[in-house]
Amino acid sequence: MKNKFNIYLLEYAINALLRQKYKNFFIATVFTLLTFLLTSIFFITNSIRHELDATLEALPQIIVQKIKAGRHYDIDVAAMDEILAISGVSDVVARVWGYYYFENAGVNFSIVGIDKYEMQYKNSFIKLSENFDFDAINGGESMLIGKGVKRTMEQSYYSEYFNFIKPDGTLKKVQIAGVFDADTELESNDMIVMSKDLLREIFDIQESSATDLVVKVANPQEIPTIALKIKLSFPDTRIITNQDLQVSYQNIFDYKSGIFLALFVVALFTFFIIIYDKSSGLTSEEKREIGILKALGWTVDDVLKEKFYEAFLVSFFSYGLGVGLALAYVYILQAPLLSAIFVGYSQLKTSFELPFIFDFQTLFLVFFLSVPIYIAATLIPSWKIATLEADEVIR
Amino acid sequence: MIALNNVTKIYKLGKQEKITALDAVNLSVKEGELVVLRGASGSGKSTILSLIAALSKPTSGEVRVDEKHIAKLPDHFASCYRRDNIGFIFQKYNLIANLSVKDNILLPLVPLNPDAREVEEKTEAVMKRFHIEHKRDTMVRNLSGGEQQRVAIARANVNNPKIILADEPTANLDEQLSNHFIEILRELKALGKTIIIATHDPLFFGLDFVDREIEIYKGKIAL
Repeated sequence: MKNKFNIYLLEYAINALLRQKYKNFFIATVFTLLTFLLTSIFFITNSIRHELDATLEALPQIIVQKIKAGRHYDIDVAAMDEILAISGVSDVVARVWGYYYFENAGVNFSIVGIDKYEMQYKNSFIKLSENFDFDAINGGESMLIGKGVKRTMEQSYYSEYFNFIKPDGTLKKVQIAGVFDADTELESNDMIVMSKDLLREIFDIQESSATDLVVKVANPQEIPTIALKIKLSFPDTRIITNQDLQVSYQNIFDYKSGIFLALFVVALFTFFIIIYDKSSGLTSEEKREIGILKALGWTVDDVLKEKFYEAFLVSFFSYGLGVGLALAYVYILQAPLLSAIFVGYSQLKTSFELPFIFDFQTLFLVFFLSVPIYIAATLIPSWKIATLEADEVIR
Repeated sequence: MIALNNVTKIYKLGKQEKITALDAVNLSVKEGELVVLRGASGSGKSTILSLIAALSKPTSGEVRVDEKHIAKLPDHFASCYRRDNIGFIFQKYNLIANLSVKDNILLPLVPLNPDAREVEEKTEAVMKRFHIEHKRDTMVRNLSGGEQQRVAIARANVNNPKIILADEPTANLDEQLSNHFIEILRELKALGKTIIIATHDPLFFGLDFVDREIEIYKGKIAL
């Protein structure tokens, strides 16, 4: 009997909340907004971090690019043999790739050419070359496209094929064979994959040339040494190692994270102002009510339980609502405004979708930063009053 | 049943200022007795009720109810003692204005965690006895002074306490409602309750069912 849940205490707590509905509505609204903001920031950061990690992992170990007059030019594939001769190099692949500016939509597509008989420098391309044969469709004049590309093309009514404008001004009609599905949205969303031969034709790249060379090294520890050897053999090239790229990507990410951190601090600061206001005391009416309840035979335990229910209902409801809104905002609406801070270059690239990364740690962190603090801020002043003599409080 | 032995109560108003509300008071009240404490405002009547209800502790002396030292009870047990033994009718009723009549009346039952049927039976019984059942769902703030007082009386009786304490119960009522309250007191006395009323209202003086009238003057019992 004694252990039975006291429904009347809960009922009283709900009544108490409704009696101060405007105040509690205001607190719940601010609490929800702050939870929403904090959780959204975490969700976006986690998603971008996931994308970034996946992108960095997929980067080639060494990229060799020919530089002429400070600009990137096509490289002679004959250099491959000389690079292969350097000890420690396990393979060299000539990449054919480039950007295609689609004027109608004002976006750039990244186009990559692959050859099923060559070693693939990315895991996703290995799967692709095993599962898909470009030569079998439309005489090799077909392509796979990323989700973002598909969306963009469909907006211009290109749902089955796309007309590329070649450097000489003529059109090249290429059939859309399917949607490219890679491990990461960031790299695949704006990407088009087709056969190397077709891409050479579209970009007018000679058989003896490639956009750049990708070098695979057996021992990653040797990357800096081999990069140096290549540089010495080919002084007119730029050598980019995956470590250089990682630093560059990471710097951009950290810079953007700083902006998010500022937002985070502001949100947290606002929350603590509310907490300070809440914990700094009760109104005379609230104090009197506690005194009355004590005078009617309520113990300090009863008062605190009732106050706990009040605080828990407000904070947990607001937390749940905030998290729910953040989930919808980030993963359904794709975080308009906030995500632009991270993916601000989307005017030139097709927009990417934030992947759904459900991280319990994030939810626990926001929970422990908000709900228990709010409950404590409610209970402590109530406890102070409830432990005074009831007579003193009522008077 | 109730005994105050050499009780002194001093209120501290600031760091220096003190007020002696009761000064070495001795008082005993038998079970079933109805006692009226008379005296001017600030004489210490309310303080006596507050000490008997364990709402405050004496500065010195002892307060005993059924041979228990009320003043020495820890806060938790003092609350339990009030819940089980005391029905207090406050001068300003001390109702929760934004709760309904019924919700106010059942407040002393809440800590007992009774089942719904028991709550229903007890609240309905006291609402009927004190003629407030037709207002059960009305917010207390919308009641007249007399109705609010009946709610306060019903709330004080919902746990069927042995002791009823009433502090200036007619201070906010007109003569007609005051007379009605006196009739209610007569009923409660007939039920065998021990009743102590602190008042300076002459309506209570010389009533046939009052057992004793005690004059309090400047914190002492006037002889």
